[in-house]
Amino acid sequence: MTPASPRQDGERSPNGLPVGGPQMLPVAGPVTRLREVPAEGSDEGSGDAGRRRESDQWLRRRLLERQLHDGASLRISALALRLGLLRDQAPFDEADWENRIGQLQDELHAVLQELREVAGQIYPPLLDQAGLGPAIREEADRLGAALELEVAPELPRRRFGPVAEGAAYFAVAECLATRPDETPPALRVSISRDENDLVMVVSGVGARHLRSMLDQARPLGGTADLAEGGTPETGTITMRIPCE
Amino acid sequence: MRVALAEDGALFREGLLMLLRAAGHEIVGSVAGGDEMVALLATEQADVAILDIRMPPEPDGGLTTAERLRGLYPQMGLLFLSHYAETHYLMRILEIGTESIGYRLKEKVGSVDVLTDTLDRIHNGEIVIEPVLAKRLVERPRGEKKDVVASLSERETDVLRLMAEGRSNNGIAGQLFVTPKAVEKHIANIFGKLGLHTDTSEHHRRVLAVLTYLRSQRTEV
Repeated sequence: MTPASPRQDGERSPNGLPVGGPQMLPVAGPVTRLREVPAEGSDEGSGDAGRRRESDQWLRRRLLERQLHDGASLRISALALRLGLLRDQAPFDEADWENRIGQLQDELHAVLQELREVAGQIYPPLLDQAGLGPAIREEADRLGAALELEVAPELPRRRFGPVAEGAAYFAVAECLATRPDETPPALRVSISRDENDLVMVVSGVGARHLRSMLDQARPLGGTADLAEGGTPETGTITMRIPCE
Repeated sequence: MRVALAEDGALFREGLLMLLRAAGHEIVGSVAGGDEMVALLATEQADVAILDIRMPPEPDGGLTTAERLRGLYPQMGLLFLSHYAETHYLMRILEIGTESIGYRLKEKVGSVDVLTDTLDRIHNGEIVIEPVLAKRLVERPRGEKKDVVASLSERETDVLRLMAEGRSNNGIAGQLFVTPKAVEKHIANIFGKLGLHTDTSEHHRRVLAVLTYLRSQRTEV
């Protein structure tokens, strides 16, 4: 995914968020060079520069999600209330007036649902707010997929940071994604921490998913390995991603 | 009704205040965060507190504030408003309480009628669940519940969806244009098929039974 515009360079707070919050980061503002971005054609995707590039991309996704939340969503919600007010102030043909306003509000709800879907694809709000386990659970619920989720007991309180959590989430989301006529696979996902690595073991996936898992893990200096044995459709892949 | 409001988005807060006033409710205060809400209610009494889920103290100040408020004022109703209808939040809300509590999408309380109906039901001790969320729970129950829910008739599924929204028998009857007696019969059939106890007669217990059934935590180790 290519973000709409580059993130403005700036200092990071200890939690990895750029200092100043989303309002400091113009969506369509002047193009500011990211710190130490490797020149075109250089060895991207590996080494420190590639890793930083990937990290920035994930942070950008999270910021875009927040902008959708604080901007468009809020404006449209307020509009819905104003329209509701208008309905009670109708000066003529009340039934018709109410009907029209009701339709407008339904329309606004539909717009918001679309915005939510976009936001979720950029960075799932629940992933930011509640962490990896709840976000994966919600996505499986949304798709009607059977999911067995095992989260190491100390983890609900401890987080891995937006970069590792984002990569791990989208790796699983990729496994759950199916064509409309297919049944989503029944997965077993376990999440734990091994020193400075997020370790996620996904069972019930096809060998073909190794590629997308590698795509998520490798740029961050992580790994993805398919366990020996198993069938082509019910393999076990272990992902390790360096985390906060 | 006396209402207190905590919402960190000024634009939405002002809009909601206008609508609350138009609906004839008394606003005892409006603030931008959870801690301010606790401070406000130390001096003012409210029948229902309206809370944004995602507000200070981060990350989900509405939920942590609600836990404190439920402890301090068990009788006060709680209405959560959010940009997102998530089963994760619903389950956390039901842990805070199963009476006088509601969870709705921000843009769905955008009329005097709906807002007042939501507040009245909460004030009367009911649970109010956003219809979109109830619908998703009924149509997409957790993996192993799918077959059981699929065995319900179309009418029974309609009744189950309205139950999951927190509607009373009379409310369901009104929505489906049938008699409350017919609703009772459907509910008995549903409970039979789901294997739930029919003696959970109390309204909020019944809704809770349905919700926990639809999103069973059993697969989480």
